[in-house]
Amino acid sequence: MTAHPLVKRIWRHKLFYLFMLPGIVWFFLFSYVPLFGIQVAFRDFRFSGGFSGSPWAGLKYFHQFFGYYQAWELIRNTILISAMKLSVGFTMPIVLAILLNEVRNLRFKKVVQTLSYLPYFVSWVVVVTLMQRLLTPYGGPVNDFLRGTGLIQEPITFLNNTTWFYQVILGSDVWKNIGWNSIIYMAAIAGIDQQLYEAARIDGAGRFRQMWHVTLPGIRNIAVILFILATGSLMSAGYEQLLLLNGPATAAIGSVLDVHVINSGISEGRLSYAAAVGLFQSVIALVLIVTVNRVARKISDVSLF
Amino acid sequence: MKTNRAKVSSALLAAALMGSTLVGCTGGGKDGGTSSSGNDGGGSGKEVTLKILHNWNGSSAGDVDLTPITKAIQEKTGVNVKLDYTKGSEVEKVNTIFATQDLPDIYTGPAWGGELDGIIKAAKEDQLVDLSGKLAQYPNLAKGIKKENVPPALYEKAIGAFGDKKYMLYQNQPATDKDALDWLYGFYVRKDIADKIGVDPQKVKTKDDLYAFLKKIKDAGLKENGMPVIPLGGFHNGWAVGIGSTMFYGSNYVDKGDGTLENVFFTKAYEDYTLYYRKLLSEGLLDPEAFTQTDPIANEKIKQGRIAVLAAHYPAILDASKDYVKAHPGSDYIPVGPLERAGAEPNRPADLAIQGNNVTVITKSCKNVDAALKLLDFLASDEGFKLVHYGVEGVHYDMANGKPVAKKEIFDKFAADTTGKQKKNEGFGIGFESLTGPDRTNSLGGDIWMDQDRMKAMENARKILRPNGIKVISAYNAGDVITKAPNWETLKPSMDKMNDVWKEAIFAKSDEAALNVLNALRGQLNKMNYPEAIKYVNDNLKGKEVVKVQMPN
Repeated sequence: MTAHPLVKRIWRHKLFYLFMLPGIVWFFLFSYVPLFGIQVAFRDFRFSGGFSGSPWAGLKYFHQFFGYYQAWELIRNTILISAMKLSVGFTMPIVLAILLNEVRNLRFKKVVQTLSYLPYFVSWVVVVTLMQRLLTPYGGPVNDFLRGTGLIQEPITFLNNTTWFYQVILGSDVWKNIGWNSIIYMAAIAGIDQQLYEAARIDGAGRFRQMWHVTLPGIRNIAVILFILATGSLMSAGYEQLLLLNGPATAAIGSVLDVHVINSGISEGRLSYAAAVGLFQSVIALVLIVTVNRVARKISDVSLF
Repeated sequence: MKTNRAKVSSALLAAALMGSTLVGCTGGGKDGGTSSSGNDGGGSGKEVTLKILHNWNGSSAGDVDLTPITKAIQEKTGVNVKLDYTKGSEVEKVNTIFATQDLPDIYTGPAWGGELDGIIKAAKEDQLVDLSGKLAQYPNLAKGIKKENVPPALYEKAIGAFGDKKYMLYQNQPATDKDALDWLYGFYVRKDIADKIGVDPQKVKTKDDLYAFLKKIKDAGLKENGMPVIPLGGFHNGWAVGIGSTMFYGSNYVDKGDGTLENVFFTKAYEDYTLYYRKLLSEGLLDPEAFTQTDPIANEKIKQGRIAVLAAHYPAILDASKDYVKAHPGSDYIPVGPLERAGAEPNRPADLAIQGNNVTVITKSCKNVDAALKLLDFLASDEGFKLVHYGVEGVHYDMANGKPVAKKEIFDKFAADTTGKQKKNEGFGIGFESLTGPDRTNSLGGDIWMDQDRMKAMENARKILRPNGIKVISAYNAGDVITKAPNWETLKPSMDKMNDVWKEAIFAKSDEAALNVLNALRGQLNKMNYPEAIKYVNDNLKGKEVVKVQMPN
């Protein structure tokens, strides 16, 4: 009896597969095993019954969510904030990667790269505390600077203010993630055949034309794939940031599904309800990914599956 | 050879990676060192270790693992206590421990609100040990939960709500009238600031006076450390700037005029209260960061002398301002008012709900229930109470004329330490106080650690704020009764939103927008059958004495 060709292939590259194993185990434990808990959304969760021993509740908790007077406001806020983050947060790392690619001074390039990565490793708790210190109207350096330069007369309440809420959310999100998200584009740019640039130069293309006709097409595929993946988080606006930055003053535009799930699940102990809202988010995310994937395949021949 | 070595190295590296992933997945919540062992309550000399969750945000231990008081408890009961503390929301902690089954042996936490709701749910779902069969052997515990020793609504809702079964122990209710603790909630102003603007804080009586007072502080343009002084501030998440509500309505459930009760959220008085705070906020009289800040940030503002008027209970204000007052003599916070009270005659004593503050339970994970009960019974005894509050006799205090007297060197050591660490290192204030049964502080000898200045300040505040004394509320609270309404489960999430919605409303751009925010939730409450629930409340409270005036405590 001969072994299946796939098994043979795996055995031949066993060391590589061994390296993949921790990742596979991680995904299995943290992404697939928890799927078992989805049933909580359809049950009246009881501490004593656990996931599978609690009585069935049908769609009761989905009805509760859609009957909640702020349900549509939550959905609207989530989509709006995510869409803004997607449009700005998706393009800015590409811009940074391209700009860095054009920098010829290696020392400067490395310093900028390192500085732009660093915020990614700082937790939102620290970032928000920093922002509170910097932006406070009571002697915060930002207000002091603006007043010192005569740009404003009275200090601005940047946080807890609907006028500045989106700017603060987007600005902090871009600042924190731009460096990290640009790494993959930097890698993609590094992989572009240098002969293409030489050919472009011979054809008389300047720096801008080289970027337009060589660099951008060179990272197009990776950008499309990342965009498809990013659409999956359209129903998730990032709970840590909004939990910390949203307050009563901005609740009307800053309350999002992620925070609603955390609050109703952990603070109010309504685990089944929270699971139902979470499942709703996930299903919409799945539909979005599948749809965008199809559209991308039709338009550009690039797709995830 | 070289290739083999590379292969072996690669394999080891991959195995290590996977190993660390799996280790990361193991339940870190269980602390092997704190699980119970033995089964005889320590009587045979076997050491028993019990983990106690002290569910109060901000509570903590000192720098010493085994304090003299913890050691004395261990010697008396044979139980080695490991205290665990909550960092963050107490309600979240209750829900999380039962949902994840990461349970301590003993839990003690707030005897109200969402925390108590979580414990009641846990009792209903067999997560707690039924103590009814064992209480006869532990008289101190049995006494603490006798019907006459528990406020009626709390007894009906929690302690005695399970028929013959008893899941909960009750802590810190005043043993006698003289043990009743008045926290002296109110507005307090820095004395030097009141002097600077030339206003006698005791002349501030009405809501208009308070507004004018805060406005005068703002208009004075005072600065500390180069930063503007904030007229009115509070502590974490807005605690307790909203206590001005007593100027607008008597309690959370008010008489509609026809003898029936209505939740105050539906009334004009609540709208006035909301708009008043909106005005304070929009005119820069109230710190807009007060509702989102943490305690460390609030304390920093107070330590820098940047808050003119603070709203909270007096002990918290005295603690937070200790450093600033030490460095700036004459800057003590003193009471404002007493302010007018809606629905109360001027000569009426202050109506306070003085009751216990902790519910203690033994979870189903406790491997040694007898040891836990022995420990709790000892702590609830007079001997245990004195050990926890006064320390070890001969070491921390001596008895003189039948009363405990603090040793001078220990007293001075504690008084000189503004961080409170010295006290904690001896075992005071690390959580045992929440397990000592009825509060007997005054009956057994008073608070021997309170310094003279603090005592004087508290006494002065009491004289000003309680000119007619206090009246301990014994009537039924409609807020407890509504939780037993048939539709409470579906109504509760919307009722829980009231406080959030109030905060949202005071930040609204206009009065009209603020009222719209309130009305939106009113609509939701009606949709969730609030009328049915309030009818249940009125039916159940017919003929009973009901709380209609209550001050924060």
